[in-house]
Amino acid sequence: MIGPLLRNELRMLLRDTRTLLIAVVAPIVVLPGWILVSNFVADREEERIESATYRWALVGEEAAWGESIIERALDLPADSTLGDATFERVGEGNDSLLSASEVELVVVARRATEADSLATDTPVLEVRYRAESDLSRAARERFVERLEAVREAERDRRFRLAGLPASRAELGVVSTTNVASAGKEGGRLLSRFLLPFVVMMMLGGGSIMAADTISGEKERGTLETLLTSSARRSEIVRAKLLAVITVGLAVVVINVVNLAIYVTIGVFDLPEGLALELAPAQLALLLLLFLPLAGLVAAGLLLVSGIAKSYREYQLYAPVLFLAFLIPSLAGLLPGLSLESAIVLVPLAGVAVATTAVLVDAWHPLWGLVAFASSAGAALYLLRRVEGVLSNERLIAGTDFDEAEFRGGPALFPRHVLTWFLGLWVLFFLASLWFGDVLGVRGQLVINLVGIFLGGSAWMVHRYRLDPVEVLSLRRPRWTAWPAVLIGAPSFLVLGVGVSELVNTWLFPMPESVLESFARGLTLDLGLAQIVFFLAILPGVLEEIAFRGVLLHGLRRRLRTPWAAALACGVIFGLFHVSLFRIIPTGLLGIVLALVVLRTGSIYPAMLWHLLNNALALVPDELGWISPDLAVPGWAYALAFVGMAISLSLLRPRTPGAPRAPSPVGGVPPGGYSP
Amino acid sequence: MKLRAVGTLYRHELRSSLRERTIVINGILIPIFMYPLLLWGMFTAITFVEGLNEGFTSRLAITGQLPAMHTAMRDSLHALDGVEVLTEIEGDLDAALARGELDAIVALAPLPESPVPGNFRVELIHDRTETRSTNARDRVEALVERYRAGWLAELGRDLGLDAADQQIFTVRTENISSARDVTQQLLGMMLSIFLIIMVAIGCFLPAIDTTAGERERSTWETLMTVGVDRGSIVMAKYLHVATLGILAGALNVIALMVSIGSVLRPLLVDSDLTLDVALSPLAALVMIAAAVILALTFAAAMMVVASFARSFKDGQAMVTPIFYLVFLPILLGGEATDASLSTNSALVPLLNVSMMIRDAIRGIYIWDAIAITAAVSLALVTLLLLLARRVLAFEEFLTGSFDGSFWRFARERLFARG
Amino acid sequence: MMTHLHTPAVAVHDLRKSFFDEERGEVTAVDGISFEALPGEVFGLLGANGAGKTTTLRMLSTVLTPSSGSATVMGHDVVKEGERVRRNLGFHSASTALYPRLTARETLEFFARINGYPEERLNARVDQLVDRFAIREYEHGRIEKLSSGMKQKVSIARTIAHDPPVLIFDEPTVGLDVMNAIEMVKVVNELKAEGKAILYSSHIMSEVEKLCDRIGILHRGRLLALGTLDELREATGEHYLEDIFVTYVTERAGTADAVPGIFGEPGTPPAS
Repeated sequence: MIGPLLRNELRMLLRDTRTLLIAVVAPIVVLPGWILVSNFVADREEERIESATYRWALVGEEAAWGESIIERALDLPADSTLGDATFERVGEGNDSLLSASEVELVVVARRATEADSLATDTPVLEVRYRAESDLSRAARERFVERLEAVREAERDRRFRLAGLPASRAELGVVSTTNVASAGKEGGRLLSRFLLPFVVMMMLGGGSIMAADTISGEKERGTLETLLTSSARRSEIVRAKLLAVITVGLAVVVINVVNLAIYVTIGVFDLPEGLALELAPAQLALLLLLFLPLAGLVAAGLLLVSGIAKSYREYQLYAPVLFLAFLIPSLAGLLPGLSLESAIVLVPLAGVAVATTAVLVDAWHPLWGLVAFASSAGAALYLLRRVEGVLSNERLIAGTDFDEAEFRGGPALFPRHVLTWFLGLWVLFFLASLWFGDVLGVRGQLVINLVGIFLGGSAWMVHRYRLDPVEVLSLRRPRWTAWPAVLIGAPSFLVLGVGVSELVNTWLFPMPESVLESFARGLTLDLGLAQIVFFLAILPGVLEEIAFRGVLLHGLRRRLRTPWAAALACGVIFGLFHVSLFRIIPTGLLGIVLALVVLRTGSIYPAMLWHLLNNALALVPDELGWISPDLAVPGWAYALAFVGMAISLSLLRPRTPGAPRAPSPVGGVPPGGYSP
Repeated sequence: MKLRAVGTLYRHELRSSLRERTIVINGILIPIFMYPLLLWGMFTAITFVEGLNEGFTSRLAITGQLPAMHTAMRDSLHALDGVEVLTEIEGDLDAALARGELDAIVALAPLPESPVPGNFRVELIHDRTETRSTNARDRVEALVERYRAGWLAELGRDLGLDAADQQIFTVRTENISSARDVTQQLLGMMLSIFLIIMVAIGCFLPAIDTTAGERERSTWETLMTVGVDRGSIVMAKYLHVATLGILAGALNVIALMVSIGSVLRPLLVDSDLTLDVALSPLAALVMIAAAVILALTFAAAMMVVASFARSFKDGQAMVTPIFYLVFLPILLGGEATDASLSTNSALVPLLNVSMMIRDAIRGIYIWDAIAITAAVSLALVTLLLLLARRVLAFEEFLTGSFDGSFWRFARERLFARG
Repeated sequence: MMTHLHTPAVAVHDLRKSFFDEERGEVTAVDGISFEALPGEVFGLLGANGAGKTTTLRMLSTVLTPSSGSATVMGHDVVKEGERVRRNLGFHSASTALYPRLTARETLEFFARINGYPEERLNARVDQLVDRFAIREYEHGRIEKLSSGMKQKVSIARTIAHDPPVLIFDEPTVGLDVMNAIEMVKVVNELKAEGKAILYSSHIMSEVEKLCDRIGILHRGRLLALGTLDELREATGEHYLEDIFVTYVTERAGTADAVPGIFGEPGTPPAS
């Protein structure tokens, strides 16, 4: 049954001549055109720099001495180390001449001053140039190169005169030998762009088909016709997948052939050293690795097409998918990343690393197989999702008229909550990017916490006419919540240190210096009182209002289970701590705090927990009670584990089967929170 | 053409465009937010990779010996930060290097036959295709070169050459440009390209939506039956597309200027460059004028082409080639960063605008070339508008029943007699 | 009232469908309906927009899965034997469009083949359809170039391409001009004469009056009445189907679970 479906898909695509012309044929023709033009321009520019006559002027108290040195330097013949260049002296000159582009260089010949931190009467040749001018920079490079050559020659002469029986160049010779074979060098070079190229072409080519195949069918109304035929949904999806793969691979092949043709007829050259000596076994392995890759890319495209209701919507979502696929395909570029590592578990990235391994002869069958399987598994999972989308009744039988959109109010909020927080995140990101320097740490904190988190929350509550008591869980918790927090917060902090260490060791093996430079924004010069206020109390209260209040409220009504809501809440909370290395610990904190709110039905314990967490992380350090690189002993982790367990069990609502949803009506239920 | 009618229609078009999600997201939101985010992500990744490189421990094997006087070098090799000298490698070192268990082999050899006592040779064996290996080579090479320089200086002293005799003279380089000069050069390069692309992107979807999109939604005919002359309708559509193009261009330039400092700063930490983002009022004025010219050109060109399309998708396919053309002047002008607008380059459409913007940002105003640029651009706009009029005079366009074939149009209208 | 000479081609028993809606919770679109349709019979489903006609028919075509209850097509269960059901079924509605870039003939070939029509008889079948619907002239024209009348012919031919014993027409005349609508009714009558079991949904009274052997009146997901036109006339004492329909629906509106104002105005009070 798949045969006729596939043939039908391809036949229809081939008849869409306009799309094919623009999406496949035009790039083939235009790309070499672009390359030609830019090569031409680059050549011309290079020639301009090469053939330029560099004008220089000489000033300074030692001009006569300087002139003799420069004359010698410029008389040096061009050889393997010294490039060819024409220099022309333009009498006397100064910086204004340089600024007006009348000369490329101004050379000042003088005696060293104290500012030079050299012996005071060392003669100095100061080459002044303009960094923003290509010509001036090129002139400086060539000029200095020659001056240094003169100096080395003179130095050698003096050593000889003083009685050195050999040339300085013969002493302590350092040579480097490269043992990489030509094949490996070619493979490494190829590996840098082979996979990104294939993925890009697959995405671009497959997209032509994918856009048309589900979202396009929905738009044209042919999807229902197809679904009422006796073909199974799985068959329909598989046929469409094969169609997307076929088109994607066809585009890959077309482009490779196209490139090959242009290289053969000499329109442009391959990068130097790119030796394509692929053994048949290597080629076979590569093709095998590309299979799950093609399947994964195609399934991803198909899923986006299935989710989108129209061609336009597809176009809106597709770039996100493109990015999501292109980034892991660059994994092969990461230095030192071996095939024999956890990366093989990451779909696409694993294949990227495996591809590199094949090309540089570091292939390992077992790990390669895992990489293959992880991508293939991801592809199959996506495929199942596509089938699910096709069975999703809302997409097929969805009504055009949406009552909630018109009624507005609280009913609409769960549907919009994620968009709102995306908006807040954008604001958050831009504020720190644009105004970070102007505002300083305190200003930024106030803007983020008061302006974005509190302001955004208030606006949402107002806009959707939400009940603040209900949304923010402003209820008194049971008394057991307080000891639970007092035990839980320090325990979690200790466990958090462990998690951070695990992350830094296994996920982002970063050297200290780099971590420090990322954390630079965090070091601050506030007093103890200010640290407590700005970094513990304010976030403790305001972040809870935004995340465990408004966000959690919306998520609770959007997601079916409380666990899913807590998880989502944590992930979003983590993403608001933009730095890559803080996402995981803060995300975990977010999950725990969401659980605290869900279990107690009150936001106050979460506020206290958050406040304690931040205070405990910063205050002892600030007061110098503990050294920053204090290692946490094993028993402390064990103790913290027990503490967390006690805390969570204290938080457990009276009836088992927690966590529970807050009661539908606001107000304090008798006896604190109960079902 | 009635101005009031044009105004009413213009507002109508603008409102419906600003309510269309794809137009707002693609033209306004993505550029303002996505580009800084992408740049930031890219630079974070670069820093990350650099950090990884620095963080690698270089695993070395040392073979051979140096003359006794040079034991210090061997010691400093052992003491070097981030270097681990492996001593317990079994079997062939070259094989270990090939297997990746070793990053470099330092082969030391004394040169007893040399006329200078204590002369030696160091060979660094590495695998150029492995980053860790080149990294190890660089570290060792730097150390050995430093040591060698010290040894040579000592030899010189023994021969009676003092530091000044050895130094002879010092070469210094000094950049006289201010942070503002450098920033303006950078901004000129980026903004002159960016503005053109952004105006084109801003015009792209509205131009299609207001022609092919209307035909697809069957609102084209509704509009053509209102009691206003068609010239006004088309003019309103044209102006609205141009407005959105200008809007996208302006917003993007502002967003780029605001975020470029923060985005680039991490990269500049190690260099002595600083950024000083500023734009003179005159340059801003030139850029606004350029944005208007560009928007008028792109709006006309894209609408003419999109009028042939039956559906939005069709429209996209047909207008896309205009983008390919937009990139040409950028390629042409991109390399010659020193060049200014000349009376010759002012004759090339788009390239002239691009160079004019670049010059303006750098504070260079060559007025006769700018005048030629303006004249050429206006001529292009006029030409495109004349073409548009000719296209719209085709009755089937107005009724919306045209089947979309460009060739049929060309046959019947452009090449037919009378 | 039931003819026991034939086994039913379509049998629906207590079929129910509810959707989950974020705000309103469970929304019941079809609320426990039962009916049967026999070969050689046109069974009409009459109801206003949103009465549940399309949902019912989509469940029969297996596009939607019932929440509870059962339905069979030619003895095959719609939940368990989806593929066999669809093989025995031709589904035609306003939302089952045709692929614009296929030709008329390719469309028929494709749908006959995909619905499992024997390959060796496929060409003959397509020829037969082409002749029957007089589309010989434009059989090689792409669908996108055809007029709406031509498209309709191809669409009906596509529905019966695999010669299924059961046919579903969901509001087939919506948006058709007079001549095309008449043509449609004529084709349905012919198909009935061929012995097909036909489910026909519509809100156009005259069509249903003319065409349907038995009529089910569907309102807010419930089957309010079921019978031949004469039986319904007898039960209500009204002559015209329109009045019969209004009688049933307003009677219903008088009961407790009804909410006024969904279709028409509740300005027409119950006759009694």
